[in-house]
Amino acid sequence: MHAALKDIRVTFGPLIAVDSVSISIGAGEVHAVVGENGAGKSTLMNVLFGLIRPDAGSIEIDGKQRNWTSAQDAIRAGLGMVHQHFMLQEQMTVLENIVLCGEPVNRFGFVDFKGARKKLAEGFKEHGITIDLDATVSDLAVGQRQVVEILKMLYRDARLLILDEPTAVLTPQEKDRLFGILRSFARSGRSIIIITHKLDEVVEIADRVSVMRGGKLISTGPLKDTSKDRIAREIIGGDLPPPIKPLARAPGETVLSVKGLVVKSRDTSVGPLSFDVRAGEIVGIAGVSGNGQAELIQALAGLRSITSGEIALSGNRIDRLDVAARRRAGQSYIPEDRQRVGLALGATVAENANAGRDDVSGFVRGPFLNRPAMARYARAIIDRYRIKVGSASALASTMSGGNKQKLVVGRELTRETPLVIAENPTWGVDIGAIELIHAELVRMRDAGHAVLLVSTELDEILRLSDRILVMYSGSLSDEIAAADADRNRIGALMTSRADAALRNVA
Amino acid sequence: MTVLDLLFDASFLASVPRFVTPILLAALGGAICERAGVFNIGLEGMMLTGAFFAVVGAYFSSSAFVGALAALVSGALMGAIFAEFNLRRGGDSIVVSIAINLLAAGLSTFLLGAIFHVAGAFNDPAIAGLEPVHIPLVEDIPVIGHVISGQSPLFYLALLLVYALHVFFARHRLGLRIRAAGENPAALTAGGVNPLWVQAIALLMCGALCGLAGAQLSISNVNLFVENMSAGRGWIAVVAVLLTRGRPWPLFFIALLFGAVDSLSFRVQGVGLPQQFTDMMPYLATLIVLTALSWWRMRRQA
Amino acid sequence: MTVRSESLFSGDLLPWIYTLAWILAILFGLMLLVNAPFGDALSGFMAGAFGGRRWAYLMATLSRATLIIGMALSVMISFRAGLFNIGGEGQLVAGGLVSALVAILLPGPPLLVLAVAILAGMAAGALWALLAGVLYIYVGVPLLVGSLLLNFPIRYIASYLVAHPFRDVQSGMVQSHLVPEGTWLAYFPGVRLDVGILFIVATSIFAIVYSHTTLHGYRARLNGLSADFARAVGLPVTRLTLQTLATSGAIAGLVGAIAVFGIHHRYIDGMLVQPLYAWTGIITVLLVGMIPWLVPFSGFFFAAIQTGAAGMERSAGVPKDIALVMQAVIILFVASRVSGAILSSQNKAKGGDDGA
Repeated sequence: MHAALKDIRVTFGPLIAVDSVSISIGAGEVHAVVGENGAGKSTLMNVLFGLIRPDAGSIEIDGKQRNWTSAQDAIRAGLGMVHQHFMLQEQMTVLENIVLCGEPVNRFGFVDFKGARKKLAEGFKEHGITIDLDATVSDLAVGQRQVVEILKMLYRDARLLILDEPTAVLTPQEKDRLFGILRSFARSGRSIIIITHKLDEVVEIADRVSVMRGGKLISTGPLKDTSKDRIAREIIGGDLPPPIKPLARAPGETVLSVKGLVVKSRDTSVGPLSFDVRAGEIVGIAGVSGNGQAELIQALAGLRSITSGEIALSGNRIDRLDVAARRRAGQSYIPEDRQRVGLALGATVAENANAGRDDVSGFVRGPFLNRPAMARYARAIIDRYRIKVGSASALASTMSGGNKQKLVVGRELTRETPLVIAENPTWGVDIGAIELIHAELVRMRDAGHAVLLVSTELDEILRLSDRILVMYSGSLSDEIAAADADRNRIGALMTSRADAALRNVA
Repeated sequence: MTVLDLLFDASFLASVPRFVTPILLAALGGAICERAGVFNIGLEGMMLTGAFFAVVGAYFSSSAFVGALAALVSGALMGAIFAEFNLRRGGDSIVVSIAINLLAAGLSTFLLGAIFHVAGAFNDPAIAGLEPVHIPLVEDIPVIGHVISGQSPLFYLALLLVYALHVFFARHRLGLRIRAAGENPAALTAGGVNPLWVQAIALLMCGALCGLAGAQLSISNVNLFVENMSAGRGWIAVVAVLLTRGRPWPLFFIALLFGAVDSLSFRVQGVGLPQQFTDMMPYLATLIVLTALSWWRMRRQA
Repeated sequence: MTVRSESLFSGDLLPWIYTLAWILAILFGLMLLVNAPFGDALSGFMAGAFGGRRWAYLMATLSRATLIIGMALSVMISFRAGLFNIGGEGQLVAGGLVSALVAILLPGPPLLVLAVAILAGMAAGALWALLAGVLYIYVGVPLLVGSLLLNFPIRYIASYLVAHPFRDVQSGMVQSHLVPEGTWLAYFPGVRLDVGILFIVATSIFAIVYSHTTLHGYRARLNGLSADFARAVGLPVTRLTLQTLATSGAIAGLVGAIAVFGIHHRYIDGMLVQPLYAWTGIITVLLVGMIPWLVPFSGFFFAAIQTGAAGMERSAGVPKDIALVMQAVIILFVASRVSGAILSSQNKAKGGDDGA
């Protein structure tokens, strides 16, 4: 299928999300659309797929101009899209998910599952895919779930496939398998568009590359006519930020000590885990989401009770203390979910900023709140973290994602506690905010605090950590020093038990 | 007369289906909404509406079938009203549910006065009742013969619907889409199907079933309409749906349990306990079962 | 569960006009159904709500409004905290019953008895609400269903108590004895309206001031906005939730006491349930999107609809349940007109965030 977007323009109120962008994709071509968060790549693809109507511009499929009124039109024309957040029904089986919305039915509306199975079997053979059609989606690993999404498109005979950040949640091995499938699709004449910000992968699989920044198209053309470096510069619009310099001093006393921690719940068992975090170091725990990181963090923060083991902060046992006591003992927590756990969106910025504050006397007078004092405290955080918001008395919900995250980080780091626990601290945040938050975490480390960084973003772990641990299926690997860290080795650890993985490493 | 004598009394067992039917039908309707992701706690109001219009239909046409049909249609209309204000206009489903309950209470009493010119209750021999269905050979089986045979046609319909709904969710296109709408409506939209339409149909089905539940009360169990006739059974159905998360077979057993308690409380009235205590029994039983099951669920998750 | 009070007045006037048109059309349709003479009906409504010899009916409306507004306050405290406590009716009954019985049984100087009785009633309401809260937090029974189911047992217990042990047999009706005359709330000079309304006003002011200016109120509010957030920053979530529910219940209990000492001077079977005070309180709050200062107007509005409809029945023969129908219709049209979702029920709407 040959597709072309011509002069597409999309605005959301005063914000210009896509500014007169034109891109074309040929049959059998793998086309990468790259750019940072907020560059407009997903919006552009949503236009192509019929989820958003452009304010101006046109779509051409195989030479004919098309006007989509809904995604259904695009699907019928042979387009398919796999979104960043999977659109799957967790409690339904793989087969049910595949046929949903395109069900083969008999006269009374009953679904012909047998026919669907037959049709899929052919596709499996052609592209080398294996999956259990009767498995419940919630039981599948992330990589498998993506395969289900792709099968949905295959089932509807899609000729143009759009994948939005497909490798964000995959291990390196799963990514290889995905790329194998995509190459097979391309060989059979299908066109593929990948939205991504990972340049290594662009270089690996794309035939042509389009770079977007701030809603505009910066460049588009064959991969061989450009280079990874050049693309990176086009994405950022300037030079790359300097790499983080490692600390010259050696780390100090042990601040966080975890021994034999076991957290059991109805369906998972995490642990036994043992590790330390010392003053003046950043310990990064890498791993694909869902391998026990959430349970570990909750156990450390005091939000979940532990089954056995010890947690000690600066030498004092804290595993029996509640959240408030642990915070007083010297720990701060930057949660991953800023909407629900990090902030109370219906309260003002000042109210949120003062929420975790230890020195209650600093913002109360007797039983009453001292609002001016609260505002002053909030303004200090707003200034220091360059948070863009109307005023300290504006509602937290009015801020953008990056600013919300900066508020959460600011509130927690201002407490200057010996231990900082950061959980995916820059998830879904714009690059300026990422830089600031990373710089602040490093500043904390340099000032002698202990930082535990748990992140599913491998780049972040590699960039900031002094020591790296990998979490897989509820256990931790042996530690890897920053100097020895290499993507493939860590990727292997992310998908298999430490002992087996090490055997595979050369 | 000990409690055991009461329980193993054949005529008590034969009376249980009468009490199970309204709860089961309403709960099945609620289950469809639950699976579709519509938080509908207006079952009480929909049931009451059905009870009233069943009498209206049965009285004016002298046919119980028309009465049942009127109940079904009026219930579905309540479902349509719910859909209009919740799905199309975006009103919160709890607010709309409360409004539906109040609307049903007000409308039924208002029309009681407007149409029949009475207050409190309408009782007239011209109200055609649903004839019990007698199954020839089954009837002669000792003890359970009269439990299975001689019941309202709506009872047999309810039993059939338990199985039908199970198959519907598993193998019918609409059933699949209802499940999808309840779990991940965004995925349906991405697939080109509007989940709001699916939910609207679910509401119509729910309303219809609740209407029939009401018909069981007013033209089968008795042949009259009393103000607020549904008397909390819609709420018991809500609890049943909540406990079983809308799955047809567990729903059947819970409805059976609640219906048996309802029937028992009716029976026990004759034994000397003050009426207030017997009136309280179904709610207490529901609360106890709810507490026990919630407690058990909480322990399992820890 | 998060709760937001959105502006009622965002957007243009046209949708409001359509809404009003629909509501009036339904109203007239119903009146047509009973062949009501419009003139008589309208004047009957006005008299029933606002008129009467020496403003007797207006006083009745105000009296009713007091109870409705009180219940609305009770409900609002829970709803704003994200707690779907619809057990107001049960808490109301518990409060009214206990306060009446205490006043009847406790010897002593009347004002002291009154004070103790009111406090006992508030305690009873608080306890009944706490029961639902405990079931919710420690057993996992959803608050909505638990609080609702608890409405029924207490109603029947109260009914039993005034039908048998504490019944005033001589009066021939199902009710308790009169509470001592010294405990009867005074009337405002010259009118038949008791001073109960002052209790409600005082409580409202207290509640608003408390939640915005005190540390404890601030914490309770944050807990209401997001329990996960409150937990993560170390607030005592369980304690705050139970305190909020207890407060709600105590206010409902207070309303029950006002009904006993200000209006009926005894506990009559069904006197708190029949008029649907609790449900009206709920819709009062929902009508104005939980904006506190609008609640008194909303409460008065619904009270007037109810007493006006009674007047319409007297003068034009329109069944007074038309009031209930119109209230439901108004809620349907207006509660869904109010911009934004007022409450997010089971499935929280995931807030927007930066996309790619």
